[in-house]
Amino acid sequence: MLNASKTALAVAILILLWQFGVPLTAVPDYILPLPTTIWQRFTGTFDLQVYHLAVTAGTTVAGLAMGTAVGIALALLVVYVESLKSIVLPFLAAFNSIPKIAIAPLLVVWFGLGAESKILLAFMLALFPIFVNSLTGLGEIESDILDLSKLAGGNALRIFVKVRLMHALPYIADALKVAFPLALVGSIVGEFIGGNMGIGYLVLTGQFNMDIPLVFAALLSITLFTTLGISAIGIFENIFLKWQPSRRVR
Amino acid sequence: MSTTVNIRDVSKKFGADVTAVDRVSCEIKANSFVSIVGPSGCGKSTLLRIIAGLVSATGGEISVGGKKVDGPISDASMVFQGPVLLQWRTVLENILFVAEIGGRNPREYQARALELIELAGLKGFENSYPHQLSGGMQQRTSICRALLLNPSLILMDEPFGALDVMTRERLGFELQGIWSASKNTVIFVTHSITEAVLLSDTIIVMTARPGRIQDVIEVDLPRPRTLETLRTSRFLELSARVREGIGTQWEG
Repeated sequence: MLNASKTALAVAILILLWQFGVPLTAVPDYILPLPTTIWQRFTGTFDLQVYHLAVTAGTTVAGLAMGTAVGIALALLVVYVESLKSIVLPFLAAFNSIPKIAIAPLLVVWFGLGAESKILLAFMLALFPIFVNSLTGLGEIESDILDLSKLAGGNALRIFVKVRLMHALPYIADALKVAFPLALVGSIVGEFIGGNMGIGYLVLTGQFNMDIPLVFAALLSITLFTTLGISAIGIFENIFLKWQPSRRVR
Repeated sequence: MSTTVNIRDVSKKFGADVTAVDRVSCEIKANSFVSIVGPSGCGKSTLLRIIAGLVSATGGEISVGGKKVDGPISDASMVFQGPVLLQWRTVLENILFVAEIGGRNPREYQARALELIELAGLKGFENSYPHQLSGGMQQRTSICRALLLNPSLILMDEPFGALDVMTRERLGFELQGIWSASKNTVIFVTHSITEAVLLSDTIIVMTARPGRIQDVIEVDLPRPRTLETLRTSRFLELSARVREGIGTQWEG
């Protein structure tokens, strides 16, 4: 709680400095609008913000869900089918070295200006961190615990559910914290490239019309959404991973 | 509930050159506490895993309770050098793990688990997570886990190896107490001569590279053995003989 109030205090000081410090400089309001201006624009365009944010949230969550499902499935494949390791790993490493943003225009050509291209971009960005962490979480189990399980009559399914999956959960939760903002980047970049919906589109609209307060208002929406997403992952951790030493109640 | 272990001409080679275990033969009597002592790299841990059916031998044959070993054996449990506890499970849940993983109803083992917790001096820590326990308490938990299903054969691979000397000594005496009550067959790998003489009915001394049996020593010290036992001349004699067995291969 103490940390949360410290953070709030720091943010408040920053906003106050912005509000009362910037007018003392020569920076005009249409270049760097004041917090009050941004807030007015945000509340004034609230319905618009909600509408566009919902579109972006949809493609982000869809891409993240796909990335999570495919990432975990690929990790399982590599963990259980040893011979696939030498095929899947270099392929994914090569895939990861491609800047996905650079192939976004191609995705628009292939999949159109609709949600598909955004979801795919979000998926591609989210996939790698989920895969890598799942691979560690599912695969790097002490061999002693597997031996012990076998002696006690453990079959593959029970060992998966009670040992591998449980061991992987904190790794996957950590990966989600990285993959969620990446999926959001994918959606927004997709919106930059084409289409007429989403918070990225709203940012671009603000830019075209030199409506900088609208750009900032959209950025505020994005920030609120990210905070919400990360908190949701945090709540999941608090409920299911309360055994972790790092989150024990002090 | 107990089991004789027959080891006949068992060898284990890793690759072409490394012979971890070389034509080892011996019989481990039911209800006995047998230690395997030897320097690092003498293949004692490998032999233990071969007995459990977790590693296959490259030669020879093992039977446990009259049944040939050709895969992980049932009715046996293992304690390792580290506690190998599941971090997301409490002490009680960790002990019940072996029941669950084998598809048994953990509820039926709850009473037994609590009994073991009390016996091991872990009462009050049933609901603690491993990271909240000391190393000694973690290892006690893993011993309770090995005893939960009351297996006829318990394989221990340097179970006190990672503990400090004082905790080690105390756990040794506690293990003796627990074992006397249940009389499972125990095969105990250690490199502590004192521990081997204090706990065992029989000591198998192994040499390294290749791992062979150097000596088999029957320990005729009366039970229960106490701190006093450590000072008797018979204890010292037996310890000297074990040391000699290990020592000969240093000379050669």
